[in-house]
Amino acid sequence: MKILIVDDSKAMRMIVTRTLRQAGFADHDYLEAADGAEGLAVVQTERPDLVLSDWNMPDVNGIEFLQKLRASGNEVRFGFVTSESTDAMRALAAESGALFLIAKPFTSDTFAEALSGVLAA
Amino acid sequence: MSLTETTPLVTADEITGIAQDVWGSFLAMDLEPAEPHDEPFAGESVTGCVHLAGAWGGSVIVEAPTTHATAAAEAMFAAEAGSLSWDEVSDALGELTNMVGGNIKGLLPAPSTLSIPSVAGGESYTLRVPGAVLASRVLLTGPAGPVRISLWRS
Repeated sequence: MKILIVDDSKAMRMIVTRTLRQAGFADHDYLEAADGAEGLAVVQTERPDLVLSDWNMPDVNGIEFLQKLRASGNEVRFGFVTSESTDAMRALAAESGALFLIAKPFTSDTFAEALSGVLAA
Repeated sequence: MSLTETTPLVTADEITGIAQDVWGSFLAMDLEPAEPHDEPFAGESVTGCVHLAGAWGGSVIVEAPTTHATAAAEAMFAAEAGSLSWDEVSDALGELTNMVGGNIKGLLPAPSTLSIPSVAGGESYTLRVPGAVLASRVLLTGPAGPVRISLWRS
């Protein structure tokens, strides 16, 4: 399975990948993108099975990224990993087609809980 | 000279809890509260800043000696001591600032937007948010040295 991690912080992309491996998801291919615009391009070329995206990014932010994907008819499984997690953002994320929103900071248990059903599907 | 709010919407204890959670989860560093001050850190330091705009406007500023920022970056990148570039150290402190700012945003009136972090580094510099009032400030110490977090209301 291909998992695309989209975050403008290189350090955070590494932490997300490392945490996913610790959470028991080591046997997957991990791809990276630095913002929503790059994420859109990678989704088109690599066709990942799951996208994990930050929300607050330059150029195309996370919610714009998701909305552009859905507007183009792409239904890739999508979750947010973000430092902001207000009720309004969670509602907008769900409304726009996100499966979950993981708040930073997180632990491997957080990922195991959020992704076990998603990656098993 | 800046005025300090007497009844901040986000307390020092809440900021301390957020920082302890972030540093503990991602850096495996325990932070303990210390008496806050606004004196510059000795030697070089790194400062991260994010701005909030909307129902509540202001800024979150995270300052640490470069040794602390570098140790934090090495923990985040799982890198060997001395192997990281300034870009990687500033990326790490920017992300720590973003996490602290994002969590503080959740305690403030909504809706508001959070900026992308800015990071400065060097020796003998100051960062000011003109016209802002200091809402809360904490100084925390850990294995890599001190870190100061200030919340300013514009």
